[in-house]
Amino acid sequence: MWYIAKRELYDNLNSLRFALATVLLLGLMLTNAVVHLQEQPASVQKYLTAVTDARNALEARVDSLYELAQKGPGKLYKKPSALHFCAEGGDPFLSGAVESNHYFWENGDLKSFWQMRYPAATSNLTNIRPDVTKIDWAFVIGYVLSLIALLFTFDSVAGERESGTLRLMLANSVPRHAVLVGKFLGALMSVSIPFALAVLVNLLVFSTSSAVHLSIDAWGRLGIIFLVAILYTCLFLALGLLVSSRVQRSAVSLVMLLLTWVTLVVFMPSVLALIASGFSSPMSKDELRIRQKQINDKHLEEYRRVFGGPNSAALQAGSKYVTQEAAEQERLIEERLDEQIAQVQRARSITRISPTAVVQHLLESFAGTGFERHIQFLENAQRYAIEYRKFVVDTDRGDPASLHLMGVRKGMSEKPVRPESIPVFEDTLSLSKDFNTAAMDLLLLTLFVVVLLAGAYLAFVRVEV
Amino acid sequence: MFKTLIGREFLDNLMTFRFAAAVFITLLLVVAATAVLIKDYERRLESYNTSIETHRQRLRKWQTYSPGMGRLNVDRPPNPLSLFNVGLDKRLGNKIPVSHSFVPSLWDAEMDSSDNSFLNIFSSIDIVFIFEVVLSLLALIFAYDALAGERERGTLRLVLTHPVRRGHILLAKYISAMLCLLVPLLMSLLLAVMLLTTSTSVSLSTDDFLCIGGIVLSSLAYLSVFYLIGLLISALTRRTGTALMLSMFAWGFLVLVYPNMILATTPPQDASAARGASAFNQIKQIYEEFDRERRNFLANDPVPGDDPAFDMDSPGRWTTGDGFMENQLTLLYYYWNVLSYDEFYDRHLSQVPHVQNYYGFLGPRIVNTADRVWLIRKQALDEIFVRPAFVDRVLLKLSPVGVYDAATQACAGTDLKGIQDFFDTVRQYRQEVIAYLYDKKAFGSRLWFAGDEEQVDWNTLPQFSFQGSDIGTKAKRALPDVFLLLTINLILFVIIFLIFIKSEV
Repeated sequence: MWYIAKRELYDNLNSLRFALATVLLLGLMLTNAVVHLQEQPASVQKYLTAVTDARNALEARVDSLYELAQKGPGKLYKKPSALHFCAEGGDPFLSGAVESNHYFWENGDLKSFWQMRYPAATSNLTNIRPDVTKIDWAFVIGYVLSLIALLFTFDSVAGERESGTLRLMLANSVPRHAVLVGKFLGALMSVSIPFALAVLVNLLVFSTSSAVHLSIDAWGRLGIIFLVAILYTCLFLALGLLVSSRVQRSAVSLVMLLLTWVTLVVFMPSVLALIASGFSSPMSKDELRIRQKQINDKHLEEYRRVFGGPNSAALQAGSKYVTQEAAEQERLIEERLDEQIAQVQRARSITRISPTAVVQHLLESFAGTGFERHIQFLENAQRYAIEYRKFVVDTDRGDPASLHLMGVRKGMSEKPVRPESIPVFEDTLSLSKDFNTAAMDLLLLTLFVVVLLAGAYLAFVRVEV
Repeated sequence: MFKTLIGREFLDNLMTFRFAAAVFITLLLVVAATAVLIKDYERRLESYNTSIETHRQRLRKWQTYSPGMGRLNVDRPPNPLSLFNVGLDKRLGNKIPVSHSFVPSLWDAEMDSSDNSFLNIFSSIDIVFIFEVVLSLLALIFAYDALAGERERGTLRLVLTHPVRRGHILLAKYISAMLCLLVPLLMSLLLAVMLLTTSTSVSLSTDDFLCIGGIVLSSLAYLSVFYLIGLLISALTRRTGTALMLSMFAWGFLVLVYPNMILATTPPQDASAARGASAFNQIKQIYEEFDRERRNFLANDPVPGDDPAFDMDSPGRWTTGDGFMENQLTLLYYYWNVLSYDEFYDRHLSQVPHVQNYYGFLGPRIVNTADRVWLIRKQALDEIFVRPAFVDRVLLKLSPVGVYDAATQACAGTDLKGIQDFFDTVRQYRQEVIAYLYDKKAFGSRLWFAGDEEQVDWNTLPQFSFQGSDIGTKAKRALPDVFLLLTINLILFVIIFLIFIKSEV
């Protein structure tokens, strides 16, 4: 078996396709590294400035607890991932921040309280440059590596049968499965070598620059990404072997494989997503507007009933109006957000029929970009919002002179707040969490590989020479 | 003899597995994609219709001109030909404000869609994209063994023992293979058009069919380019294996790698930031001058009170506000103001003619300043946004994929110029609206801000309509690229001919 694997490897090392694959992969990975080196420092700098500005704006309001409670924590920013070069994951279409809005209505002394808003990313509206895919690892692995894997295996059985060497080899006392496994391992090694080389060059470029720094955690993630890439390569090698042993001529095998590749890799992800997103329709903008108005009207009416009564009752009613209205509006917004997220997640789970989409999802999870990461960020922001509200209530409780009526200026503590006591928003990425979201995809990919390998084995055992 | 050659080659190609596979896969992908895209288009159309209705209703709520001018919007309809090549149609904003206080451009449009904005993370596809990928691959699969295979098998030598010209052999191979490749192309396009015409929501005009004809023509030229690339590789190599690998990597490079790589290596330049800042300052200065004039008018006014409301309040509904709107990124800077009363207290009635006088002075000046600023802004926007995008498109055209994409986008009217045509029409519409306002003497009228005596009849407002760029313009934009494709064809053919003539059999 090892002998066959070695022979296959030597055969491939001398071939034209090995040279071309190496050149192509190296070129792509170098481009990726150079572009990342240009972009990453700027985006990190932008994030840091934005965070500092937001914090300063927040700390400027410490004189009045009411201001802090009414205007909220301001803008919260998504931390850029250090592994952005692995998978861009549609990040330009996901907004990089959530914010607390507070300009909704004003009624005498009462002002609307802050609510968390999730703006849509619209930066692409000003972009009139042609639309292209970004060259990231996900592209190199998903598209190029899979094509190369097919080009290395399409003739491995059919070609030998055509030239008659297969009969020669099987005439020896080698078990058939050993031949197949040997061929598989040989092809795997010959595809992995140029890929590993390209990855090394890519990382070498990063390590020479001081602008981009990779942490231990990032190296761990890179290791997992590399293993995922190898697993994905195995899948296409197995597919190549399967088709190659089923058909008589290598030309036919090639045509079948290429067309399968085009369908699986290029079309399935986008077409399936388009189909699946039509299954549900989240709350539309107009519906949202109508329901928002209903909520406000309901609370305003309740407030008006008490208005004009004794002073303390009016204060109490005002406090209720402001806080409950804000809470209910936020629940409504979150309901819409959940519906939208559910729609996208349904579409994403259906695209998993294509292994390329599975790998794309895996790379996004481990690189800390893309949709799952965005959801993590939103959850972090929502958790912070709760913490912030709790902080305001606790501070107010701590002041014995306060009436403890949230939402009205007179009902709240008037002491200044210590700036450092305001909770800090921390957008964290955790590997274990990412691993959990990725476990399903990882299993699915393994399943694909096992099924295809079993198929290739069966096909090869039954093959007529 | 020539006919026999063509016949033989044609039958040879027709009876192969690859032909059957080619027809099957193209039909499958195109039909599936068309069905999905039609649904998508219907959704967009529905969203467009809702937007129009919402905007109309929102305008009707106001009985005076002033708030109406802040709420007049034009919606960009989805282009039915975007099914063929989506271009920028889906990506750029589709809600354009029309106001007398600034000139709208492509960069001021908002995205008004009932769709979930997260869905943009999925890449969109169109029929031309399918052709870009599949047809080029098929063309190479048909071509890689055309010469190298015959040479390997020795049949080439056999054929050449007959008194046949080498050019004829080459031509016969080219014609027969192209005929074979035409079958999946035309069949799938026919099916796509049939699906389109049976759908009730998509209505295609004669011009649209001519445009589809243009797309077919460019697809043909594109297909031929890739067939010739395959033939060239086949003529250069001795063995089919080598020819195959070279063609596959050439395909991967031209279709997958080059278009994505070239734009990654040319990031937007920072030099444009300085240009933008200088233009923005210039615009601000013009508005400072305008503001000074406005304040002078108010200072020399005998009646007390300050604009925009002149300290008037109202028992009924009223709204007021003014200020400067700015967006440094898109160089947008303008002065807006709004004032509207449903009724007045009697004590304010004497002030009304004075307010009328002020807005009669202000309105035309706002219009003029906006027009002056637009000249500066247009130039700066062209330099900052349009020129880099143009350079990118030229770079993309170094690969046949880019040329094909540009040609079909121009045919479909979804390219940058096609979209700009729409915005030109919007600007013309703004002129019409302003002419209408002058015609009605709206600026100095009581109706500008007071709805207590009479109300604006919004039905007499000019209607916006956009028919798409006319077929001549589209043809003018697409033809250079189609010619470029044809020239590449010709050059490739000549090179192959020269190589084949001189090659040893």
